[in-house]
Amino acid sequence: MLQDILVTGLVNGGVYALLAIGFSLIFGVARIVNIAHTAFYMLAAYCFYTLLTKTGLGFLLSGLISVGAVTLFSVICYRLVIEPVREHEAAVLIATIALALVFQELMLYAFGGHFLGIPSTLEGSVRFLGVSIPYQRLLILVVAGASLALVWFVLYRTRLGLAIRATANDLEVANLMGMNVHRVAMATVAISVALAAVAGVVVAPVFVVDPFMWLAPLVTMLAIVVLGGLGSMKGSLIGALIIGYVEAITVFAVPAGAYLKGAVALLIMVIVLLARPEGLFGVAFEEER
Amino acid sequence: MLRTLIAAPCFALAALGFAAGAQAQTIKIAILGPMAFVQGEHHWNGAEMARDEINKAGGVNAGGKRMRVELVRADTNEIQSVPDATNAVERVITRDKVDFLIGGFRSEAVLAMQEVAMDYKKLFLGVGAAHSKLGLNVEQNYERYKYWFRVSPTKDVDLARTLFAVLGSIGQQIRNDLKTDTPKVAILAEKAVWTEGLVAAAQKNLPALKMEVVGLWQPSAVATDVTAELSAIDRAGAHIVFTMLSGPVGISVGRQMGERNMKAVAWGINVEGQKEEFWSAAAGKAQFVSTLDTYAEVEYTPKTIAFVKAYQARFKKAPTYTAATYDAIMMLKDAIEQEGTTNADKIVAHIEKAEHVGTGAVATFDKRHDLVWAVGKTSGIAVQWQDGKKVPFWPPNVKGMQPFKMPAR
Amino acid sequence: MYWFRRGWAELRNEIFVLPSRTLVLIWVVALLALPFVYGDPYVMRILTMTCIFAVFAASWDLLAGYTGQVNFGHALFFGAGAYTSALLSLKLGLSPWLTVFAGAAVALLFGFLVGYLCLRLRGSYLSLATLAFPLIALGLLFAFPDFSGGELGVSGLRRLVLTPTANYYIAAISMLFIVFGLWLLADSKFGIVLHAIRDDEVAARASGINTPRYKMTVFAIAGAAAGFAGALFAHYLRVAGPSALEVALSFQVVIWGIFGGVATIYGPVAAVFILYPLTEWLGSIPGVGELRLLIFAVIVLLVLLFMPRGLTPWVRDKIETQCPRCKQRNGVWRKVCRLCGAALQAQVAGTQRLVGHQ
Repeated sequence: MLQDILVTGLVNGGVYALLAIGFSLIFGVARIVNIAHTAFYMLAAYCFYTLLTKTGLGFLLSGLISVGAVTLFSVICYRLVIEPVREHEAAVLIATIALALVFQELMLYAFGGHFLGIPSTLEGSVRFLGVSIPYQRLLILVVAGASLALVWFVLYRTRLGLAIRATANDLEVANLMGMNVHRVAMATVAISVALAAVAGVVVAPVFVVDPFMWLAPLVTMLAIVVLGGLGSMKGSLIGALIIGYVEAITVFAVPAGAYLKGAVALLIMVIVLLARPEGLFGVAFEEER
Repeated sequence: MLRTLIAAPCFALAALGFAAGAQAQTIKIAILGPMAFVQGEHHWNGAEMARDEINKAGGVNAGGKRMRVELVRADTNEIQSVPDATNAVERVITRDKVDFLIGGFRSEAVLAMQEVAMDYKKLFLGVGAAHSKLGLNVEQNYERYKYWFRVSPTKDVDLARTLFAVLGSIGQQIRNDLKTDTPKVAILAEKAVWTEGLVAAAQKNLPALKMEVVGLWQPSAVATDVTAELSAIDRAGAHIVFTMLSGPVGISVGRQMGERNMKAVAWGINVEGQKEEFWSAAAGKAQFVSTLDTYAEVEYTPKTIAFVKAYQARFKKAPTYTAATYDAIMMLKDAIEQEGTTNADKIVAHIEKAEHVGTGAVATFDKRHDLVWAVGKTSGIAVQWQDGKKVPFWPPNVKGMQPFKMPAR
Repeated sequence: MYWFRRGWAELRNEIFVLPSRTLVLIWVVALLALPFVYGDPYVMRILTMTCIFAVFAASWDLLAGYTGQVNFGHALFFGAGAYTSALLSLKLGLSPWLTVFAGAAVALLFGFLVGYLCLRLRGSYLSLATLAFPLIALGLLFAFPDFSGGELGVSGLRRLVLTPTANYYIAAISMLFIVFGLWLLADSKFGIVLHAIRDDEVAARASGINTPRYKMTVFAIAGAAAGFAGALFAHYLRVAGPSALEVALSFQVVIWGIFGGVATIYGPVAAVFILYPLTEWLGSIPGVGELRLLIFAVIVLLVLLFMPRGLTPWVRDKIETQCPRCKQRNGVWRKVCRLCGAALQAQVAGTQRLVGHQ
């Protein structure tokens, strides 16, 4: 059972990390709580499904096109819907909620309310430490790791990354130093949604695809970023692993309580917040005057 | 002369008006369901088939008057919002002035919808919600709730009886094939109120059926990953996975069992497994998943095969249990014609006593206005997914049934 | 006779001078007179639900707009009120008239609890933490299905009164009481303190205000109002189920609140009165019905683009202006302030009016 927990926790944690880091990035830089983050994940999953089943493109090409299309779409949405209301935090909040609802209803209208299954990219499984792991889940882990490494590279080894980190640190000063804050925000949105889209493409074959699939990961992801500290990449990664393991433990140790795994994850988040109000690695933002 | 010239056409028009009025007498039936989803779709399709069949044959003969059936499509949106459903019921009753209500799906919503319908004393034939409370209300307060009948499915506790009947026959097949005395059963039931009674009944009855319960796993109804549960079930060496699943977790179970090449076979309630889209939703992996169902091309009743074939030809998909709106409308038609009136109280009295041969069941009602359970009459059938098709295999004595298959060992 | 003249004087001097107040008066009169003019039970049902949700939205605004504690889990209080009232009236057989208040009381306690837990949290942390509470409550409800009815909830509740008209009046009158009460509270010294806490909590603390006490009190009051709405909801539908706690409901109230205009109390109420019947009406049109949520979301997005502070502030700015000297509001057609006589339009052509309402 221990091996099951170790492996399942890692795989789940990897998926959550992909989502959480993107969300954290947007919040840290643009100070936007993007409720539509997992809705983009859903869009990517549907796009992948459509490309796979309706056109003859293979997995790799469909996946790349889906990620690219959704990223582009997100930048357009940002320009049209979010940027005009940037100064009003409250408006941005419900703009993202409304956007997510629009996506949900569009998918509901286009594909109907039933559940769709995407064929697995890789079939078969491997035995590791006595646990049978399907290749698809290993793929998720590998892709998650690679994406995170890529994001780390961009953030810490490129000028764009430097600009992003500077803007996240202090928006006003970055603006004063001549960085085009709007461009940086758009780039951040693009990177963040690209991560969510990648998650959608690799994870969708493992889960079922339906227009409401964005709600459950949203809650878990919010719990993770809050737990790890809003705006902190390291915090999101560690938070994702913690929650991944908490869920795995709940399901394996208490089989009759598997339905509680969401509530338990949230409870952990609340407890951590009581002890550390900014999350584990969170940065307490100075009140901007 | 002028007066006659004016009066005659007026009289003629009036006479025409009367005749047209008499001909235009309609029986309005509201079909209530989540129309954006599969269940509502089948609600509506079954009803349309009934309406077209009745109107083509000249309508319903209510005490000498020929009345057409007119359907009102009411989207309750019950899956997303219970108040939307009650608003829809009130709207069809007060605005559209319907005579009868048919449908409903989500039990929590139907409980609220039932209240509204009973307030107005309108006949409400339930097609879709299995919760016993709906029938219990009739027993506890007959005068208020007598206008409710559950046409489909049987109430939740009766589903258990079918489940155990089939489980017994599958168990016997395992005993013969695998030469083992006590087949091992893993109970995989979603955490929900409706499974509580079934789980308790299973834990009590399975040993009596000479089967061993190796464990109970309860994922959430919307769980998308059941690897943990299935790993544990594998390790426990179960032969049968006894499923009680109504949500999308049913798809995950089917798919992940196939991906892991599990030797156990899944039988039970798997509502997603009843839908045609199940095979592709499980990415073609859900081989040998079996579930309770209502419609297949078998002679469950003398009318079943014709109905299923006609439905398939018209809508290009097989009916699920919510298409029993067809049976509900036919039941109403028979009641109206035999009582000669559309008066709700008389129809209630008639349905209570009559037996209706429908397409999904031969229906009689008990004092809770629930279906009386009997194998071959209202028990439903059991189907198994084999190579992308739903193959019916139980009750074995019904014409059209095929053998149950097990994964190769 | 004196009271008549006094009443008429009040009307003329206080209410009719401002278009916004006149609108509110018209709305109140219309609400109370509706059953006599148009007694359709369907319309009354829609408006009863609207009134219940209006209380819910107004209570959220007190919390989010005035103290800046944007609550993403407001459905917790709604559901707590609904379930408490349902369980007490069903299991103990108490009259719904009593249990509704018991529901509000329990929701008040929940308010204190959540307020206490969230004392040290700020901004987005608080919002996201509050999201968790209704979900944890849902988990608990599912864990004890014998007590709570699990996913089906508690059903078979008694109505407060029987006829649709009576139910409508109960909902409308309690809504008017609660909303006006909340508005009076927000418009008082208490409200000023809340504004101070939202704008700069450190400065408020430095001025000697016991901010934790105020924050918890507001949570409790908002919770009680939401719980009352929840209890009315349960007894009206006769079912109290997990749908009273779901995330969608919490998000819905956030949308209503911000759409209508935060920190106004009347803003969310207006939003509910506009949006809820609109979506219901859309739902009843045959072809459009299934797209209603989409249309709702698109309307919200469009309105946000043009009125980012919300609907009511925008409308108010169109029909009223603020006097630059005494800061009181006047009808937009006026040239001089009705109270201090200062000129309202700028004297020099081409200058912009720089004073706006906060």
